[in-house]
Amino acid sequence: MALSRDEIMEKVREALVDALGMDEDEVIPTARIGADLGAESIDYLDIVFRLEKAFNIKIPRGDLFPDNILTSEEFVQNKKLTEKGLAELKARMPYADLAKFEQNPNVDDIADLFTVDMIVRYVEAKLSSAAA
Amino acid sequence: MRFYLVDRVLELDPPKRIVAVKSLSLAEEYLADHFPAYPVLPGVMMLEALVQAAAWLVRVSTDFQKSLVLMREAQNVRYGNFVRPGGQLVMEVEAIEIGPGASRFKAVGQCDGQQAVQAKLTLEHFNIGDEDPLRADLDEGLRTFWRERFRLVRGPQALAARAQS
Amino acid sequence: MRWIWIDKFIAFEHGRRAVSIKNVSLAEEHLHDHFPGYPIHPPTLMIEGMAQTGGVLVGEAFDFREKVVLAKVSRATFHCHVVPGDQLRLEATVVGEIRPEGALIEGRITRNGDLVAEIQMMFAHLDQSRAPLELGEENFVFTEDFIRMLRMRQLNHLEPPSAEHGS
Repeated sequence: MALSRDEIMEKVREALVDALGMDEDEVIPTARIGADLGAESIDYLDIVFRLEKAFNIKIPRGDLFPDNILTSEEFVQNKKLTEKGLAELKARMPYADLAKFEQNPNVDDIADLFTVDMIVRYVEAKLSSAAA
Repeated sequence: MRFYLVDRVLELDPPKRIVAVKSLSLAEEYLADHFPAYPVLPGVMMLEALVQAAAWLVRVSTDFQKSLVLMREAQNVRYGNFVRPGGQLVMEVEAIEIGPGASRFKAVGQCDGQQAVQAKLTLEHFNIGDEDPLRADLDEGLRTFWRERFRLVRGPQALAARAQS
Repeated sequence: MRWIWIDKFIAFEHGRRAVSIKNVSLAEEHLHDHFPGYPIHPPTLMIEGMAQTGGVLVGEAFDFREKVVLAKVSRATFHCHVVPGDQLRLEATVVGEIRPEGALIEGRITRNGDLVAEIQMMFAHLDQSRAPLELGEENFVFTEDFIRMLRMRQLNHLEPPSAEHGS
């Protein structure tokens, strides 16, 4: 059952359209789930359940959308991530594109990392590790 | 309890937009069940209020052509703060498009400046005669009924205010 | 008008699925406003019926200790008009599993086997989801009255879904 990236994208798009009531053409890879697609707190859980069903995978709490990851002082100083904080974030979100975020790691911008493309890469990683 | 969830039309800009209000009173009996000792406007009643506000926009924009307006689909209905007795749900409904038989809207309801409900709605409009020819006689009476109710919710005043601005 | 939009449960599978019945009767007040001379059971009240069916399913998973409330309706689509004399069958199924953070329910409403509505909704615990005000200890969502009226204490004694009649 090896899905291509396009097939994964299609199913991710469907899950997002169903969860967020968007039009298909609004769900582009670079779209941010929160800022661009309008997702609110309850929507993230809706998305998780739909992805679990669509791909027959298990997504533990905080695995796809880490919430409250960086609450301790060694990770966050003055609302920015420290070196340790960045390392922790990378470990928790290996499928996220952190290049731009790294240049100005504001805690408040973490939500912008949750893009459609990030979800596709997460699912890809989950499916290939399940197959292995 | 009467199933009217729009108490007053505040602003009306057909076919684009309507602002209306639903006031919540402890006198509404169903509140005793929702919930005992903690009465709040049920989520689906907030949704019904949005639907009824949208329905007014349809009627005014189509000159009350179709006697019945009904919800066909709701999408991404999300709830925020509760509306409690003594509070008012102020609803802003914007039309995405209004056709002869169906229409789509984006709707938001706020109470005390806080978001209470938001939704995307699809409504259908029809005459009884379309689905039940034997009772087509009811349509004319219903059209008159809705025109009278439009006066009750101060629709004409909202239209007049729009014309003046 | 009471705020109960289902009449009884006919099937119940802890944490997975519940089926209820709603009779639509001319004796119900709201039908005379919706609409005068041509009563149609409001789609929003069908959503509430599904919310009550799903809400009991999710609530029972926590032994009715949590205040489970409707947090979102992802989508509700209605295919035909429901009128007095109709008997609706509301089936709620958990998508995946019920989590402490919340649950997604897939709902189907039928009438004599015909599809009336498809509804997807989410539940969460009150304390987590909305701005909590002066919430007391007691569970005002699942009161003894509600539990008794819907005979919820007998849910687990219902016949298993495979033996359910009239489906």
